[in-house]
Amino acid sequence: MGQPGAGADREAMMDMDRETRIAWLVDHARRPRHAGPLAGADVSVPGGNPGCGDLVTLHLKADPAADRVAAVTFEGTGCILSQAAASILAERVNKQQPTFAEVLDFSYEEMMDLVGRDVADSRPRCATLALGTLKAAVKAAETNRKLKAAGHTEAGIAELRRAIAAAVEGTGLVIGEGAESAARGA
Amino acid sequence: MPQTAAPVTDIAARGYAHPEVLVSTQWVADHLQDPTVRLLESNEDVLLYETGHIPGAAKIDWVADLNDPLFRDYIDRARFEKLLRAKGINKDSTIVFYGDKNNWWATYAFWVFRLFGVDNLRIMDGGRLRWAEEGRPLETAAPRHPEGNITVRERDDSRIRAFRDQVLTHVQRHKPLVDVRSPEEYRGERLHMPEYPNEGALRGGHIPGARSIPWGRAVDPDTHTFRSADELRTIYQHENGLPADEDVIAYCRIGERSSHTWFTLTYLLGFDRVKNYDGSWTEWGNQVRAPIEKP
Repeated sequence: MGQPGAGADREAMMDMDRETRIAWLVDHARRPRHAGPLAGADVSVPGGNPGCGDLVTLHLKADPAADRVAAVTFEGTGCILSQAAASILAERVNKQQPTFAEVLDFSYEEMMDLVGRDVADSRPRCATLALGTLKAAVKAAETNRKLKAAGHTEAGIAELRRAIAAAVEGTGLVIGEGAESAARGA
Repeated sequence: MPQTAAPVTDIAARGYAHPEVLVSTQWVADHLQDPTVRLLESNEDVLLYETGHIPGAAKIDWVADLNDPLFRDYIDRARFEKLLRAKGINKDSTIVFYGDKNNWWATYAFWVFRLFGVDNLRIMDGGRLRWAEEGRPLETAAPRHPEGNITVRERDDSRIRAFRDQVLTHVQRHKPLVDVRSPEEYRGERLHMPEYPNEGALRGGHIPGARSIPWGRAVDPDTHTFRSADELRTIYQHENGLPADEDVIAYCRIGERSSHTWFTLTYLLGFDRVKNYDGSWTEWGNQVRAPIEKP
């Protein structure tokens, strides 16, 4: 995912002048692609930036026959860059349907290159919120598969996740639903 | 001007200690062609200015413009002066800041400009949101101001900026501190997302003895403008006992929300000795052996 040569569009994006790039980002923020809920999603993971109020909830459907993303959508609120980055990433993922490993290998640096360093360098968290949330969604989907393969039921997995959330309570980490109130409560 | 925006009381009638630092949206509208007035927009949303700004306004970005790119501090005098001149600021300019998030970053820029001793600073009451809600014009054309001639002094961090050692001494002497973050942050219930550990802190809670007064309490949620001096006194002095004539330190996560409170206390209520601890929780919550109170 996102490797050089993966698409001529990437080259074109990186060649944009600043004005064109900003127009492209604003367009994505105002007319987000793949926005909304996703029927039959395997996981939905909210991600938020405490402090500035950006929120992106990533819905992910995995390929039932492979460790690969079949589709993603997102719902979010926040600054232009965070929402544009989510739209751009969703467009890319739906087009490429990357493997779980490719998503996890896609670095935050590459994400910042994708949206444009001239803008992303001053707001790295906004530029990478969607990618961080996508990675979390992929990890959740991957873990769910492993747990199911080991004989756990859906209900059992949900209980495990609650236990994990309870274990980190008080450490300040914002996981799952907590991310939403974290971002909104700024 | 559409009448959809909630009406506000005149700034002069609100009883502030230094009402001259606030200007209304109407005042700004009346001075759009005034060559001695320079408008500076400063936002959380890095691309908001590019979608439209008050005619003639230039952009100041807290990361790209005010912070040193290498280490955690502000730029030096030479770079700051060059920045201001590039924005067309002259010795006799009146600088009006405004921005999103109820002027978080506008007050932060105001505070940084004061570190360099720049005078004639104003905040547009109600910020960008109020201007937009009043249906006033925004434009995307970049302003064309001739290079300015302002000169600035060396940065003076001694009067209105606090560093961690000073904060520790402050705590040990049981002097007043204000934590302006959300109550959840104050209680240490959340710090950061797992994917962004470098933006958060390893420990949650608050600096011992700090009062929790979220910054937004200073703003009327309907009009986005600052509350009257009486209302502010009730919040800061009557409810929380902050003394107007003692050293007070305000902090948040990275110093932006606390600059809003620094502005409120200093200019609207006339507190004499307020400092903004810009290291804030991202520094304090990561320091080995820094004392923390929780909840």
